Amino acid sequence: MFLKIVKNDFLRNKIVTTTVFVFITLAVILAGSAINNIANLIQGMSDLQKSAVPADITVMHAGEYEQAEIDQFTEKYSDHIETQETMILQNIDGSNIHFGQSQTMAGTIQDISFVVQNKKFDFILDLYNEKLNVKEGFVAVPIYFMQQHDLKIGETITVKSGGYEKEFVISDHARDFEMNSSLTSSKRFVINQNDYDEMIEMNAAELEYLIEFKLFENGDSAAVQSAYIEAGLPANGPMIEGKIFTMFNAMSDMAVAIVIIFISILLIVIASLCIRLTFLATIDEDIREIGVMKAIGISKTDIKKVYLNKYRFISVAAGIIGYLLSFAAVNLLNGNMRLYISSDLSGSLKYVLSLIAPLLVYFLVVMYCQQVLKRIDKISAVEALRSDIMKHGKIRKYSFPLLKNKFFSTNIYIGLSDVWKRFKLYRLLFVIFIVCTFIVILPLNIYNTMNSPEFSTYMGIGKHDMRIDLRRTDSITEDFNRLQNELQNDSDIEKYAAYITSSYQVKNAEGSWDFINIEIGDFSVFPLKYLEGKAPEGKGEISLSFANASKDGLNKKVGDEVTVMVGGEEQTLSVTGIYQDITNGGKTAKAHTSLGVNEEAVLWYIVSMDLVQGVDKHMKMEYYQNAYDSAQVNDIKEYTVQTLGNIIDQMSTIVIGGIAIALIIAVLITALFLRMLLSKDMSQIAIMRSVGLTSKHIKQQYMAGTMMVLILGIIVGVLASNFLGEFLVSMAMSSMGAAKIELVNVAWQTWLLCPLALIIVVGYTISVCCKVTVDDDLSVVLRS
Amino acid sequence: MSKILEARSMNKKVKLGKDNELHILKDINLEVEKGEFVSVMGPSGSGKSTLLYNISGMDRITSGSVKFKEREISSLKEEELAKIRLESMGFIFQDINLLKNLSLIDNVMFPSLVSKEADKSAVYQKAKELLKMTGIEKLAHNNITQGSGGQLQRVGICRALINNPDIIFGDEPTGALDSKSTEEIMAILAEINKKGTTIMLVTHDVKVAAKTERILFMVDGNLVAQKKMQKYDAQLDDIKEREESIMKWLVENGF
Repeated sequence: MFLKIVKNDFLRNKIVTTTVFVFITLAVILAGSAINNIANLIQGMSDLQKSAVPADITVMHAGEYEQAEIDQFTEKYSDHIETQETMILQNIDGSNIHFGQSQTMAGTIQDISFVVQNKKFDFILDLYNEKLNVKEGFVAVPIYFMQQHDLKIGETITVKSGGYEKEFVISDHARDFEMNSSLTSSKRFVINQNDYDEMIEMNAAELEYLIEFKLFENGDSAAVQSAYIEAGLPANGPMIEGKIFTMFNAMSDMAVAIVIIFISILLIVIASLCIRLTFLATIDEDIREIGVMKAIGISKTDIKKVYLNKYRFISVAAGIIGYLLSFAAVNLLNGNMRLYISSDLSGSLKYVLSLIAPLLVYFLVVMYCQQVLKRIDKISAVEALRSDIMKHGKIRKYSFPLLKNKFFSTNIYIGLSDVWKRFKLYRLLFVIFIVCTFIVILPLNIYNTMNSPEFSTYMGIGKHDMRIDLRRTDSITEDFNRLQNELQNDSDIEKYAAYITSSYQVKNAEGSWDFINIEIGDFSVFPLKYLEGKAPEGKGEISLSFANASKDGLNKKVGDEVTVMVGGEEQTLSVTGIYQDITNGGKTAKAHTSLGVNEEAVLWYIVSMDLVQGVDKHMKMEYYQNAYDSAQVNDIKEYTVQTLGNIIDQMSTIVIGGIAIALIIAVLITALFLRMLLSKDMSQIAIMRSVGLTSKHIKQQYMAGTMMVLILGIIVGVLASNFLGEFLVSMAMSSMGAAKIELVNVAWQTWLLCPLALIIVVGYTISVCCKVTVDDDLSVVLRS
Repeated sequence: MSKILEARSMNKKVKLGKDNELHILKDINLEVEKGEFVSVMGPSGSGKSTLLYNISGMDRITSGSVKFKEREISSLKEEELAKIRLESMGFIFQDINLLKNLSLIDNVMFPSLVSKEADKSAVYQKAKELLKMTGIEKLAHNNITQGSGGQLQRVGICRALINNPDIIFGDEPTGALDSKSTEEIMAILAEINKKGTTIMLVTHDVKVAAKTERILFMVDGNLVAQKKMQKYDAQLDDIKEREESIMKWLVENGF
């Protein structure tokens, strides 16, 4: 009996039922694959962590170094520290690494180092999560570079540095828990001990030290870090906690999973709206049947069951199909994860967790149906059977009289006023068009923002043409001075400013000492847009990044004071401003030059510059790159692109995906909506035809109404993506250090191209679907 | 007098399922003169309304021919038929069939405003005159939910008249009304007919038929008899006498 009702109902509403089924299935596929992805990520990260055994604390240091002091410290804190190991990195500039046909890795913003596998922990792995064991003459290349330069196993890279030249055959991808992510600015190439020793002998590289600590499970990381600083042990580079690496590793896959979950929520909302629309249309059609059922004594619970069973059946079928298909779909999404985190994603967790998707969708759909079906309670048997009674009663104020129409033809005017008069009905379409515009424009705006020169604002740097980063080498100070002299005399340079970042001790909110990276220089040359306050302009002034000023950081506001240790003395600085910065974990600060450089802990030198108009930027970049071979010369856009790495690539995929999904949803729902609307308005259409309107006239009415809803939806959608979107993006980015993102809005794309694409596609759908059937006898409808 | 409507061997068949066909109108031959006031009577299911919808071109006949003002309309395209309905025909329905989202006066004006050349203020004046004529001028700007059955049927009549049609078709226009409203509506229709508009309506009600000048009687899809009378004049004719004579005639024909 039940199957028969479902079958009959399906035959009666084939298109609607199929559309609802497709949306529910798609929602389950997407939600299922997103959960699957998260399950894989959790299991993959756990497996990777187990195999790689990452350090809990990593201190980077260049320059003088004494292992014995570290050993003494380790011994002293043996309650917390399980083991310690120092990895010696041989830093080679990208321009000295050759591959393919005379290509080099110059221009990369990554610090490249050659290392040998650690003995105790922080292992670098192959794609099977096995510890790399590289043979002589071979090299394991970080996945980041394998991808970026499209390198294959069996190909060669050649390192040429001073008198050293050696060709290595690529034997493996290097999966590096600590430095996988593009957000980590160093990458490690693994070579054999003999090759490594030869490199050292030949002085081929600058040395840098990774002083790594593995703590006991209950070891206090903060205490060890403070003690390390207080002991004055080597630490002129950043000190990084293990959880930062975990976060960087998971970030891009987690972001993709969140976006997909968001899309599947949208699909569930759309499916629910379709169900509501179906109910509204079919219950109108079935109102007499409901009356008959009530009149012969069938309880309202049983009547509801008839309607509910159909959606229960659809949800179960869509849930099973969606659940199974999600395992195929997930492979489209986890390419990045399979490469960076785990090639073997065969764990069983995903099978259990993914079940959440169909179960959740089933309960949501059934709950929603029950909500909509409450309408049946309100229909009495008499009302339903005497539907003419129901037509009377409600008195509304009459709006849009035909006489007031000055600008449109009567049909267009009626179509437009119909939207106002029956907005409850058109509301669904309106919401869909807003959502569709939103999912096209927001990713597009994010993509444009990431690609715009203004994005540097969120990286804590003012807008400029070009920047030169000097690496930590023995000659860094001389190079820095030489560079400034040269820039002063270079007539192609319009203006430049030099900044030095060093590590200082700062008093935290609890009164103990932490480390803080402070950049000093003249910040008026390339002004940065501040969230609050202004740049430090004089002695005793400092500005903090958003993350540093927040409660998790130093918990400071503009006007508060910060105590910094400079040259062994405490200095109190006043906070003049707060700016956004997503680099270096979001925690940076800027102070006036008068603060003085902390010579012991200089991290990096940067020179920013603007070129005179008409100067070829690439030629200039090439010149300075050649003149200072240890420097990294970038135009600011290239710098942004490399730092954000594959996030921009993924964003462009999301933009294309968003456009495709939006168009599919808009077309499907518009077609479905019009079918419903035309079937609901069947009698009114017949009346219009009976008084002499042609199907063309009637089509004009529906087209005008629907197109107006589309245009209103686009306008609200664009505004929503600009304002609400900005708010959402800022909220998501505030954890990374940017709390107020202003999305770049390319007017011709936002207001012309995307709306036009939607208008053309939806307009065509409307024109095709707005077909008024003229073959049937008019009396069939008029007399029914 | 010239013919306004002419049906020859008009048949209407409707398919009900695979092998089930219903022959509703059987070889109907009929002529309606210009200015005539014709009513169609017959038992339920005899095909009265079907005759009206098919002869007016609202439905498509299965075979035969229908001429309106000497022009064959059974083979016209939908657009041409719509033009004829808009410019030369008016329809009044038992269910009234007004457009829900328009006020009463807008319902009246609507068919006239569809054409691009319409002079809005002239149409408005005419609609007001019609509403005045039918006694519902004060309700002009009400919604359709704010009128009684009789009032709404008057709006239906005004709408049918707005484009000065040659003929008005009525499918039981008083079928859902009380006796007072029925009398008023019939008085209006008689007045319209007196001014020269042809009227053809379907009714069950002898009192309604008594006010027409020719009655067609249908049984099982066949036109079995017709009764021609003088045009009804409320001043001169005794309505009771007309009704009794019709009743007698109907009984004689097996009603």
